[in-house]
Amino acid sequence: MSHDRARTDGPVPALELRGISKRYGPVVACDAVDLTVQRGEVHGLLGENGAGKSTLMKVLMGLVQADAGDVHRDGVAVDVRTPQQAAEHGLGMVHQHFSLIEPLTVWENVALGEPGRIDRDAICADVEAVGARYGLTIEPTATVERLSAGERQRVELIKALRRDPKVLVLDEPTSVLTIAESAALFEVLRTSVAAEGRGVILISHKLAEITAATDVVSVLRRGRLAFHCRTADTSAPELARQMVGRDVSLRAEGAALGLVVTDDPAKHLTPVLQGGLDAVPAEPPAPEAPADVPGTAALALHGLCVAGPDGRILLDSLDLEVATGEIVALYGVEGNGQATLGDLLSGLMAPDTGEVRVDGRAVSLDRPGALHEAGVGVIPEDRHRSGVVLDLSVADNLVMTDLRRFSGRFLMRRAQIRAQAEELVERFAIRTPSVDAPLRTLSGGNQQRVVLARELSANPTVLVAAQPTHGLDVGAIEDMYARLREAAAAGVAVLLISTELEEVMALASRIAVISSGRITGVLDVADASPQRLGMLVGGEAA
Amino acid sequence: MWLDDGGTVLSSALRLTAPLAFAACGEYLAERAGTLNISVEGMMLSGAFGAIAVGSATGSPSVGLFAGALIGLVVALVHANLSHRIQINTFVVGLVINTLVLGVTSFLTQIMEFSRTQVAVLRIPGLADIPMLGVVFDQRWPFYLLVGVVPLTWYLVNRTRWGLELRAVGENPQAADVSGIKVNLRRRQALMWCGLLSGLGGAYLSVGLVGSFNNNMTAGRGFIVIAAVIFGAWRLKGTMLACFLFGAADALRLALPSLGVELNAQLLVAAPYLLALTVMVLMAKSQREPRALAKPFERGLV
Repeated sequence: MSHDRARTDGPVPALELRGISKRYGPVVACDAVDLTVQRGEVHGLLGENGAGKSTLMKVLMGLVQADAGDVHRDGVAVDVRTPQQAAEHGLGMVHQHFSLIEPLTVWENVALGEPGRIDRDAICADVEAVGARYGLTIEPTATVERLSAGERQRVELIKALRRDPKVLVLDEPTSVLTIAESAALFEVLRTSVAAEGRGVILISHKLAEITAATDVVSVLRRGRLAFHCRTADTSAPELARQMVGRDVSLRAEGAALGLVVTDDPAKHLTPVLQGGLDAVPAEPPAPEAPADVPGTAALALHGLCVAGPDGRILLDSLDLEVATGEIVALYGVEGNGQATLGDLLSGLMAPDTGEVRVDGRAVSLDRPGALHEAGVGVIPEDRHRSGVVLDLSVADNLVMTDLRRFSGRFLMRRAQIRAQAEELVERFAIRTPSVDAPLRTLSGGNQQRVVLARELSANPTVLVAAQPTHGLDVGAIEDMYARLREAAAAGVAVLLISTELEEVMALASRIAVISSGRITGVLDVADASPQRLGMLVGGEAA
Repeated sequence: MWLDDGGTVLSSALRLTAPLAFAACGEYLAERAGTLNISVEGMMLSGAFGAIAVGSATGSPSVGLFAGALIGLVVALVHANLSHRIQINTFVVGLVINTLVLGVTSFLTQIMEFSRTQVAVLRIPGLADIPMLGVVFDQRWPFYLLVGVVPLTWYLVNRTRWGLELRAVGENPQAADVSGIKVNLRRRQALMWCGLLSGLGGAYLSVGLVGSFNNNMTAGRGFIVIAAVIFGAWRLKGTMLACFLFGAADALRLALPSLGVELNAQLLVAAPYLLALTVMVLMAKSQREPRALAKPFERGLV
């Protein structure tokens, strides 16, 4: 089947993916995706989290086996089952999370994964030669852990380019880079593509990058190829809409909850999207509070800055206020600082600068438990990691954050714990055989209810819900939405951290968009269109 | 007079260092690949037993020596497949192997009869006549294997592609996997080397040092080896230095009474561990430990 498609209508593409499908259990990561990359072309691959970009590239690099579909290089079907085979077929990749071994030197990292003898001097000379050719200067004998994020990126690039790949994949290459470093990177890409005829796949969610640096662009949405076009023939707003815009699946649930579904979606949304997002409640679920009056915000974040251990900026003077009884959503593509903010508001880390005020009082973030005492409840992003203990009983999990209330000097008050647990199980409709059942035996939705019940039972001023419906089924999602609205109606300030557009549109009265650790814009839900949100998510002012 | 005493103590220190040094070369390599191999004790003990059993049966202690090394390799094969193929916790595997080997060798020594068998002394003419230091050149012949084994281990780890991959696997298995290295295969191979050398170390103890096998004859030397690797901060030079230090402490313990010095022998037995503990406290922040040491690797979705 090697030459089954002798092309008459153009040059043989450097790389062709045909009908690639991959599912993980019930989740379809890639659904019959076709992708063609010509020589000398930069092909932009755009998509949200979970759109299937990473899975597609892992299939291409032999890290994951596809369920169906095949890969053609220069018109010849090739079998890519291991990273070595991918390298043999001229496929190279710069991974999003660096694949460098920090304690090793630059040249050792560059040599890693190749077959054959090691010749230190030859590799060092190679590193310098490749570096000189592309303007990527780096000291080959330096230890990687001493290098900055930008320098590490250079090492990754040299590692990939040294093997002379015919097709080079770059996965979110600028997510750790400064603007100057990004510009330099694209310079290298241009040289590499134009002078040497390589094909490049550039994976990104930054619209500016895609429009500036690519020749052709494909948009993946929910594992399917949603859009494909020459970059010159499209625009950032169009791409934003293609990336974010989609059918809203929550219309039925919204109706079931007795929400008023607006008759005239155009009142809120741009006409192009009338089919898309008409589940937005006409009335914001919670009473509007004057959030912009200083001092009244239940939760106020001022100038939060956090730098990671590798010097990367995770939060960049982030400002956000949430008023009593209001649901504010923090929306953005994963990995733009949401996890850091979640950790910060869970008291797991302290910011480098900036402050958190609850009810106008500054909370000292260095002290463990201070946020909890100040009245901040948290539904953590990964409930199994930091929310619950799966092998303890439902009752134990329900009182875990407030054990002092339920124990004497030495012993726990079992009866009191049971009573509290039974009351919460009743009130939050947690479906469990008994309060003594291990939490592990409950469904995901009920586990999440346990977390919510526990956090709300402490009567918090502020509730931070990070991806609260992640991994839940539709019924459980609906229930979580109702409970969050209830909490807000009862006067809790709710900060919803979410990457799901429907969720944000369905719950929040205001939407703050986060990109690269900064708030790029705050929109009232009535003014929010997928296009504007998409632009903000892509790091551009809308 | 003190030259003679010094020579005797040095000679004894060298003899006691050798089994540690062989096994430490193996343990060093295994730890650089990310396995904190506690079954090194069991590997040494089985090697010691195997060497005597085979040496006594064949009448050749040299054949016994190699058989001991091979038996260590077999133990490593079991450990490697349990912990780096079907992913059983490496410490549980190690504890079980140590206990099992102790039990089996004790049982077998009870029901079997072995004749004494010991490898020959190789005296290097000329050099052996140097005052005091001459004892270095007047040792049982397997001692001189160290001259090859130590540099070879260093070369394997620091100069070959295999060694580079081992280090990568010990530091960051996920990144190594992405680069196309078979993480668990490399870890299994590293354990093989450890088993071979630990078996050799144990065999040296029985057919080299003593000439017979007695119950639990390694008596915790495997753990001293682990301490030596930590003491050496996962560098071979430091590890070898630590082995010599621990060997010398052992020799001193044996020699002190005859030299007329009173010192609590139990304290000296504990000395290597105390030293290792001190060094660990001092180095707690140095970050020279392989970062994925004792962290199992399974290829996941991430």
